[in-house]
Amino acid sequence: MEKTFTEKIQINKRNKIAGLYPATKLQIVILFSISTLIINSIKLTDAKLALLLIPWFALVPFMFAITGEFKKSMKSMKPIFVVAIFIIAVQTFIVSGGQTLWHWHFLSIREKGLQTAISLGFLVLNIAGMFTWMLQSTSTKEISRCFEESGMNFKVAYIFTSSLEMIKVFSKRSQTILDAQRSRGVETEGNLKVRAKAFFPTIVPLILGGIIGSEDRVLTLEARGFSIKGEHTHLFDLKKSGYERRMLVVSIIITLLIIAGRISLWRMK
Amino acid sequence: MAYEIECKDVTYTYPLSKKPAIKNLNLKLEKGKLYGVIGENGAGKTTLCSILRGFAPSFYKGTISGEVLIQGKPLSSYDEQISRKIGYVFQNLFTQISGIKNTVFEEVAYGLENFGVPVEEIERKVVDIMDLTDIMDLAEKSPFELSGGQMQRVALASVIVLDPEILIIDEPTSQLDPQSAESVFKIIKKLKERGKTIILIEHKVDLLAEYSDEIIVLHDSQVIKMGETRHVLSDLSLREHGIQLPQVTLLAEKLRESGMRIDELPITKKQALDLIQEKRS
Amino acid sequence: MTKNERKQFSIKEDFSMLALLIIPVGVAVNFVGGQLASLLRLPLYLDTIGTIFVAMLCGPWVGAITGLLTNILTGIANPVNFAFIPVAIIAGLVTGAFARHDYFSVWWKWLIAMVVMGAASILSAAPIVVLMFGGVTGSGASLITATFMAAGANIWGAFIGTEGLFNVLDRIISVLICLAVIKVIPNRNLIKFSCGMFYVKDREEIAEVTE
Repeated sequence: MEKTFTEKIQINKRNKIAGLYPATKLQIVILFSISTLIINSIKLTDAKLALLLIPWFALVPFMFAITGEFKKSMKSMKPIFVVAIFIIAVQTFIVSGGQTLWHWHFLSIREKGLQTAISLGFLVLNIAGMFTWMLQSTSTKEISRCFEESGMNFKVAYIFTSSLEMIKVFSKRSQTILDAQRSRGVETEGNLKVRAKAFFPTIVPLILGGIIGSEDRVLTLEARGFSIKGEHTHLFDLKKSGYERRMLVVSIIITLLIIAGRISLWRMK
Repeated sequence: MAYEIECKDVTYTYPLSKKPAIKNLNLKLEKGKLYGVIGENGAGKTTLCSILRGFAPSFYKGTISGEVLIQGKPLSSYDEQISRKIGYVFQNLFTQISGIKNTVFEEVAYGLENFGVPVEEIERKVVDIMDLTDIMDLAEKSPFELSGGQMQRVALASVIVLDPEILIIDEPTSQLDPQSAESVFKIIKKLKERGKTIILIEHKVDLLAEYSDEIIVLHDSQVIKMGETRHVLSDLSLREHGIQLPQVTLLAEKLRESGMRIDELPITKKQALDLIQEKRS
Repeated sequence: MTKNERKQFSIKEDFSMLALLIIPVGVAVNFVGGQLASLLRLPLYLDTIGTIFVAMLCGPWVGAITGLLTNILTGIANPVNFAFIPVAIIAGLVTGAFARHDYFSVWWKWLIAMVVMGAASILSAAPIVVLMFGGVTGSGASLITATFMAAGANIWGAFIGTEGLFNVLDRIISVLICLAVIKVIPNRNLIKFSCGMFYVKDREEIAEVTE
């Protein structure tokens, strides 16, 4: 039998991890971030480096893999890698203080620089990486629905989704305006003054159109019963994959183990 | 019996404005009829419709006097449920979508979701309305990627799916090509057959001549003429107020000037044809 | 309302339907502004225009939400932006507070506002950049910061010194753009926003005929 339209708009994920309830994913990310911060406080070697953060980062690609989104997620990690590499490079070679560990011509690595390099670089990689896992495996439709199900006002969900769509609309519109300007001979290349001049006539009509349009949209939404009191129906049904409890329990156990490890290290001292 | 809509001496002024946008409005609209609203730009057509729906003054603020009655009860006594009683299709095409739905199906269903209608019923109603408005093949398309004509039909569908008894439609064809305009009018005709009371702002008098029961003429914030369509549209004096009359009416008028005896000016092609046949025999 | 009358503000009134629907516009303007600035290779971020615009019309709370949401959404693509949520919120709050006190209708007042906005932005960003990212985030300006640091400058000084000027400049241009837009918004649209009354043209003598 042919599917109904209501069935067609549902999201059905085969992968149980990808299909985790969005709030559960967030809980996992938070537990992971706490663990990361605790691990960061464990300093190894004489130079006091948070070296454990490096193997800990393996968990990020591992999560990508078991979610079945490895390639896509790794690709969106690119800007994060750039930031992390930048941080590590700058801190390693520029920050002074402590013993000199390595020296070659004008480059030198000092203890303090390396400490912050590894700490900050891998904190960013780990935490931003886990957020990437959550966000790449969850559609915005699921996030928006989850907002509402966790008790937030439906207006919050509306603004969230609407903003995303508005970004798409505006990006397209700015491209159109920019193209139109080019065809009218407005320069978008060349020196700074020329390029700066192209910015203004592109952004102004966008804002203006947006503000006038939102007035009409208020009425459109009112006409569709937006602010009606009472229970709303939701055609889109946010499902749980059934692995929520399991994943959460595993995450909690790992976090507790890390806390225990941290405490026992203090005791040993 | 109460009128579907009744206005008693309504005067409305926008904020910051000294001159009323609608003056001494008195209307008695009957159930099941299609009313065409015409007038030049700035005559107050959209304001009139905003008043009937209550957007003026609830959203636009400003000051209002007089009384608007919907099915015998004051407009102010209705709560948000008014949007199921009066449907409103706006003029601007691109701000008429909710802005949060990925498919036309969900877009049309949005109002019903807000009213808490059960899922199965939504599916059934939306399919019915998509069929009526001929947008079934767009059901899975994104509302952001529609042409003007498609967008207008989706906007219509999104409003009539709520099954309002009264429909206000503001210039549905102003941004459409003739073919799309005709298809929109076909939908409006079907709605009339379903017993809806329709108030339609429209510039294309030829289409109004064919489809509407009565015409309301606005000029300078006031109703200057109102009545049965043929009676109003054959009134040549309306031209003085910048109002266009149907092509056939103007043609018949020329014939009359050239000596042909015509008692009642035709306003539709069919009436003109009847007239010509009558003259030939 | 005359100039001397004090307008009462309430959060509930701030978040009218219209204000709610302006938030997505602000978010999209932030996004497109930033995108456009980098496309045209301008030396400024210009990614706060939307927040400033919304805050100027609707006050601090709606402005703050616009900033928050912008960074949440850009954070979806690059979670590093999550770290700068406080900066985005403060930009909305500070601008909105000035708008509330009618600081954008007289030129010398908005000059003060711009400088304070620039300062607020740099001061709220500094602890995040220095403590979480060690002074550099990989942007164009952070190359300069890094150079100063290499030359032996203090990390705080290097960051605030380099980015400070850019930030004030960014705010000046953003506010000027917003003022230009507000200038062409008709009065009848302006008055629907909680701070809109301050920008109404011919405050004394309003006789515009509207339809």
